[in-house]
Parts: sequence; C-alpha cells; structure tokens
Amino acid sequence: MSGKRRRFQQVDVFAPRAGAGNPLAVVVDAEGLDDSRMQAIATWTNLAETTFLFPPTAPGAHYRVRIFTTRTEIAFAGHPSLGSAHAALATGLAMPRDGLLVQQCQAGLLPVRVSPVAGGQRLAVRVPRSRIVRHSRVDDTALQQALAGCARGELAPALVEGGRRWWLAELADEDQVRSLRPDTDAIRSLAEQTDSLGLCVFARCSGRPYQLVVRAFPLGVGINEDPASGAANAAIAAFLDESSGLHGLGNAYVVSQGRELGRDAELFLQIDADSQVWVGGRCETVIAGSLDFG
Amino acid sequence: MPLLRRFLQLDVFTERPGSGNPLAVVVDAQAIDDASMQAFANWTNLSETTFLLPPTQPGASYRVRIFTPRQELPFAGHPSVGSAHAALESGLAQAVNGMLVQECAAGLLPVRVTGEGPARRISVRAPQARHLPAAANPVLWNDVLGALALGKLPAALIDNGPRWWLVELADEAAVRDMNPALAAIARLTQATGAVGLAVFAHCSHAEHDLVVRAFCPADGIDEDPVTGSANAAIAAWLHLNQSLPAANYRASQGREIGRDGRVDVDVEAGGAVWIGGSTCTVVDGSLDW
Repeated sequence: MSGKRRRFQQVDVFAPRAGAGNPLAVVVDAEGLDDSRMQAIATWTNLAETTFLFPPTAPGAHYRVRIFTTRTEIAFAGHPSLGSAHAALATGLAMPRDGLLVQQCQAGLLPVRVSPVAGGQRLAVRVPRSRIVRHSRVDDTALQQALAGCARGELAPALVEGGRRWWLAELADEDQVRSLRPDTDAIRSLAEQTDSLGLCVFARCSGRPYQLVVRAFPLGVGINEDPASGAANAAIAAFLDESSGLHGLGNAYVVSQGRELGRDAELFLQIDADSQVWVGGRCETVIAGSLDFG
Repeated sequence: MPLLRRFLQLDVFTERPGSGNPLAVVVDAQAIDDASMQAFANWTNLSETTFLLPPTQPGASYRVRIFTPRQELPFAGHPSVGSAHAALESGLAQAVNGMLVQECAAGLLPVRVTGEGPARRISVRAPQARHLPAAANPVLWNDVLGALALGKLPAALIDNGPRWWLVELADEAAVRDMNPALAAIARLTQATGAVGLAVFAHCSHAEHDLVVRAFCPADGIDEDPVTGSANAAIAAWLHLNQSLPAANYRASQGREIGRDGRVDVDVEAGGAVWIGGSTCTVVDGSLDW
C-alpha cells in the first residue's frame, strides 16, 4: 500500500553536535492525518515524542504543532517545541519575525526565539512557569528511598507543577548526580503516588562550561531516563527562582544532561525580566526525507 | 560539507505501514566507525538499526552490520529481511535467480526474493535450531503459566542464536487474551539464559495458520511486535514434533500491541527454516551524522 509522501525530519534537540541530544520525529505536512493515524506514527517511531506540523489557525501564529508520545497526545513539552520550530525553519514552513516565531499548540501560543550563534542558530521556547506544590516530608517514603545514599544539596526536594508534575531534588555536587544509580522501582512508585512524571536530580557545578548538571527519570511515563529534558529543566529554573536559589547561577545558565546515557546535551536556561522561563539549545537535522504511512 | 548518506526506516513483516516491526537502515555506511554505528543505533531508539556495506567475501551481494541500542548482533531475522529490502530498493544489490547472499557477522546467509513492488516477499534462512534440555523451577513455571490453557506440546527451550522458551497454548483465544506475567517471565528467562518467552497456538483462520506472541521483559521489551527468531524457533520445534500446520504457513503476531504482523514460514524437508514477509519503506531520506 502506498499513500501520500509527507516531508519528514528527525531532529536532534539540545545537541551541540548531531547525536548528543534528544531525538524528535517531525512530520512536516501533517494535514489530512487523523488522530489515530498520528498516534500510530508516534507509537511506531518509538521516540519519546513525535510532532505533526499544520498551518496555524490562530492569528499571529506561524505554525500549529500537535505533540504525541508513544502513548498519548500532550499539550506542551520543551524538546518537541524546539525540534518542531527547527523543522519549520529548515523546511521553509515558517520565517521568524524580529527573531521570534509563534508556535500554536494545545497549551496556547508560545514564542520561540531564534538567535544566531557561531556555526548556526540557537532556539529557545518560553515555557509555562511551574510552581512549587509542596516540599518533601520525612514520610514521603518512595522519595526518601529514591534518594537513599545521596548527599543532598541546599534546597529541600519539592514537587512542582507546570502542566505536568515533577519531583526535583538538589544533590550536593556533580559527582553525586553523575554517579547516581536510579532506583527505578522507587521512582515509579513515587510517580504513581503523586501523579507526577518522576524525579529530576540536579547539582551546581564549578569550573565547567556549564553551571548545572541534571538527570531526569520520568518513570511515570515508562521511560527510565531522559537524555535532555526541556520542560523539566524549565521547572528546575522556576523552582530555583521561587526558592531564592539562583545565587551563583544568575538569570541565565547552561545545563549539562545525558552523558550517563551516552549523550552530551547542552541546555540554555534563562529567567527574563518578567520572570518568564526560557529553555533553549541547538538543533540538528539528522534525518531529512519523506514519510509514507499509507 | 556534511556527508549525506541514504537512510531508510522500514516496517518489516507487513504490507501496511505501522503494522510491523520498524527497522532503521543506513544504506551507505562506509567509513562510519563502530562507536558511531553504536551511537546512532542508540539514538534511533529502535530495536535494531542496520548498516549496509560493500561485501568483503566472494559471492556475497552486500554486507550488513546489525546493532541494537546497546550492542552489535551477529544475526537477527527482521533486520535481515529489512536490510535485503533496503539493498534492493537502493540498487545496492540485485537478486540473481531470486537469491541474494547476505554477508553478516554470522557468515554468508542466503536470502530468497519473490515477486516485485508491493508484492515482493523476502525470506532468510534462520540459523539451525537446537532443542536444549532445560528445566526451570516448577514454582517459577507456575507463576509464568498461571491459569493459561495449555496446548499439546511441552514447554521447550530452543537455541537458534538467541534462546527462546516456547509454550504452546490451547487455541488462538488463549494466546490473544493472555495477560503475561511479565515479572515471572523476566525471572524465568534470566534464570535460563533465554532472551524471552514466546507463546503460540494453531488456528484455522483464512489468513494465518498460527498465532504468536513474544515477551522479552528482562531485555526491556515487554512484548515484541513481530519476531523473526521466535517464529523460526517455533517452526523448528513444530517440525521436530511433526506438528507443523504445513511446510509453508503464515503466522500472525502483534495485534495485542496495535500491530498486525504476518510472518511467512517455510520449513524444508531437512528442517531448515526460512522466515520472511513483506516490507514497507516508511521513511526515505538522507542521514547527516
């Protein structure tokens, strides 16, 4: 069976070089695909997310995107927004105005900033700001088990919410984060008990080209570890800001994530004058071609 | 200037995109080193990614290297069927008298090609299977099988490269309705060096003669959509017990996880097993790695 061939890109997001980041599949000409077909494609690609680009329906938007995991559609996520913006630019679907694109997604209209950097461009998306739901308690047994043996950092762990929920825990130093062997059973229980995606750990770093090291374990959606997490990093930035914990980092800092999975992602976080959080990075088109899904 | 290589992402063991088992194929893989191949196979996040190379041995049509996200494999079924499809689609190889010879880490393997275009079928000869004398703790088996309605043949451990536990169930409904005890299957397979457990049943269906499901929870794959090696192991086991539906039959696998794979199985009189089917080219493009 042969159907329509649609333009397709597989983009590496938060990638200083191809292969270092978090892959995203993008179907560029998605008109005519119904919901069940989009879900089937997203299941088939087996990536954390697959996005579908459409002409915008809201005034002022450059394009509309729908974001699917292998299981379900989601309203917003960071790495799919950046990879979708990159694919829209790379295929000529959208042109920035004054360095900005406006992405229409289920979470509304979100600005994507396009900045030239050496050897290419960097994209950043404004992420709906998350808030602290509550701090951890001694009787959060799944959390205590997940963090057993870790030297903690200065801020108490907290459950935060910005669309989706994450547990965030600061550890004492970079080595504590990089050498952590995640207790996947405990994190899965934690995610189930608190209706959250799972746990993110982070630590401040010194003498590195990055200021924060992050690892994310979204066991709540069946993924052991995420190589580069846009929304989770934005949640950490908002948490640091809300907790007066940005000292030493300032309002813009660089994150290293994914080395423990063989990647080496680089994420740029910024809290702007209006206290809005932006997460950005480089994107690379790794696969460019067409898709025929019948 | 970046070097662009032809890249295909295929759906194997199906005529309908989305119903089979996906495979990533880098068609022009010369000068990619092992570490880069492994890194790319990790990045695609598919069960296998293959790399096509010019053959190095006389008589071979092409050479293929097969990687999972974690390691290189000497041979695997769906990657071989898909790689042969990619070699033909890209013009890298032409069938001679309906045959290709695939060079892979397991050696030179014959590949049979019939039909053209959407009607093309590709089959590979699976490595010879051995029935291993093995027993597992009866309590563990009890946890695995629970209240399943069993078929005629006893459970068997078959080695045809990977090792598969095979369990015949009473009928198609017993297979399709099975709620696998994944934790127990993981313990059983780990305790016996098996990659997974496959269940099957005979059925009298117009479109298929056997229904199959394969579970590899210890390998991080709760259920595999369409599995070449498990189907080859089942065919060898049925042949050994003179219980084949026919010398040529078709198996259905994957519906329980939203796929609908079809595996064509041929068993020669001497017991050699060929597995094959259709392949769809879903993504056709170039790779910049």
